[in-house]
Amino acid sequence: MIRDITIGQFYPVESPIHRLDARVKLTLTFVYIVTLFLINSFVGYLFVIAVLGASIKASKVPLKFMLKGIKGIMVIIIFTAFINLFMTRGEQLLWQWGFLSLTVEGIVLALKMCMRLILLIVGSSLLTLTTTPIQLTDGIEYMLRPFKRFGMPAHEIAMMMTIALRFIPTLLDETDKIMKAQQARGADFDTGSLMQKAKSLIPILVPLFISAFRRAEELAMAMEARCYHGDENRTRMNRMQMHRRDYGAFVVGAIYLVVIIGLRYAGNTFSSLI
Amino acid sequence: MKMVKAEGLTYEYIKMLETDHGTEEEKVAALKAVDLEIEKGEFVVVLGHNGSGKSTFAKHINALLLPTQGTIWVEGMDTKDGELIWEIRQTAGMVFQNPDNQLVATVVEEDIAFGPENMGVAPEEIRRRVDEALATVHMEEYAKHTPSKLSGGQKQRIAIAGVLAMKPDCIVLDEPTAMLDPVGRKEVMETIERLNKDEGITIILITHYMDEAVRGDRVYVIDDGQVVMQGRPKEIFSQVERLQQYGLDVPQVTEVAHLLRKEGLNIPADILTVEEMVGTLCQFKLTT
Repeated sequence: MIRDITIGQFYPVESPIHRLDARVKLTLTFVYIVTLFLINSFVGYLFVIAVLGASIKASKVPLKFMLKGIKGIMVIIIFTAFINLFMTRGEQLLWQWGFLSLTVEGIVLALKMCMRLILLIVGSSLLTLTTTPIQLTDGIEYMLRPFKRFGMPAHEIAMMMTIALRFIPTLLDETDKIMKAQQARGADFDTGSLMQKAKSLIPILVPLFISAFRRAEELAMAMEARCYHGDENRTRMNRMQMHRRDYGAFVVGAIYLVVIIGLRYAGNTFSSLI
Repeated sequence: MKMVKAEGLTYEYIKMLETDHGTEEEKVAALKAVDLEIEKGEFVVVLGHNGSGKSTFAKHINALLLPTQGTIWVEGMDTKDGELIWEIRQTAGMVFQNPDNQLVATVVEEDIAFGPENMGVAPEEIRRRVDEALATVHMEEYAKHTPSKLSGGQKQRIAIAGVLAMKPDCIVLDEPTAMLDPVGRKEVMETIERLNKDEGITIILITHYMDEAVRGDRVYVIDDGQVVMQGRPKEIFSQVERLQQYGLDVPQVTEVAHLLRKEGLNIPADILTVEEMVGTLCQFKLTT
């Protein structure tokens, strides 16, 4: 039951996308998200879908996994579609009932907004499905480094993420144990009103928190005993290295960005073509 | 130079007591003027029941706690000298009781690299040390595994490897087997003995298991913050009644030997293992 929860959604296969440096993937994902807000024509969307489709194909992750993320935000997508469909004012009125009106502009806008949301989720899934949590953490630490001089605790953030990842399975096990112990003494977590269910969680959370604090204290001591003193003079065993393929990915990303910008200008000039 | 030397080592802390008149402060001494010397390459066992102060002593060797009175030197370095603290922690590595709460990373080899990374060792050298440490604890095939999927004994061996990668001269183990099953205990004890015999690393084992204490070169018994007995295992364990007075058990065979002696059988009092007992009893039958 509770142990089935998987953390991070890394999909372990060998592929060119998996092998890319995490920093490259982070940068390209960021560029990709920005471009989603740059495109304004259906041609642009088609182009983005084609590029994303090719990347998914190259990553060897089944499409099913990519689309999993959409389920989680289905409500938001439907809500966005509804608002855009019926609330957009436009000239080509098709149908009207009270304050609800359906216009051609509304349909176009709703379609674009929904595609934007779906592409956003699928694109970021591609990053988390092809990058291990450790690579991701290391990548984030590296990318945040320039902001250190403005007081951004880059190393500390990365260390916190690592420790969280390390302890999530441990704490899940513990929750399971506490729940079983309470159930053995007659606790009931499954029936009753929502309020009662929430109340029955208290006897789980209290011991869980106490043990988490104890663990934190012991871990801090163990880290100190192993000479941990922040990132001052700290080295890493696995240095992140850029390979030829990583530079190649950057070039592809740059071409992609140029095409998107080009499409936007072209779209502005020949707006009659949509 | 001694590996560890303590003179008049005292540690006091303030304990808050809830009384009828509100909270009161009480000074508690966890260690009272402890004197001891540990040579390089020795396998020393510190015995004591819960709350005897043995863990407090262990934390002093690593400068995790500083003495309120007296001094403790690690390879001649005074732990109170703030500038030497990282060197002391590198010289005397420490393994704790709970295997879960001392592993930092989500991958075994990353965890072992944690110590050397903190010390600022060059990446190629870290790689070499990690592989070497994994080989020493016989865990090579688990390099890429995640610690949460390993057994308690394996986790504890990873923790030992993590200390080994820092190239310490001495390893302090604070009840490393207390939370393990018999198989895990055996794995860890074998690893510790191998480190001592083959690598010449000084071992300071804090424990309350008698059958582990038997394997040491020398035993210190701590009770109520004081060193009350010291000597070779055979000298210590032959004093059955005195040990029981300090809340400690003796190995089962030693107790049997003690009881047999009381009944008038002429066998030695310092029998520590079943094999010894068998040998003695068989000869006993031959001679009578």
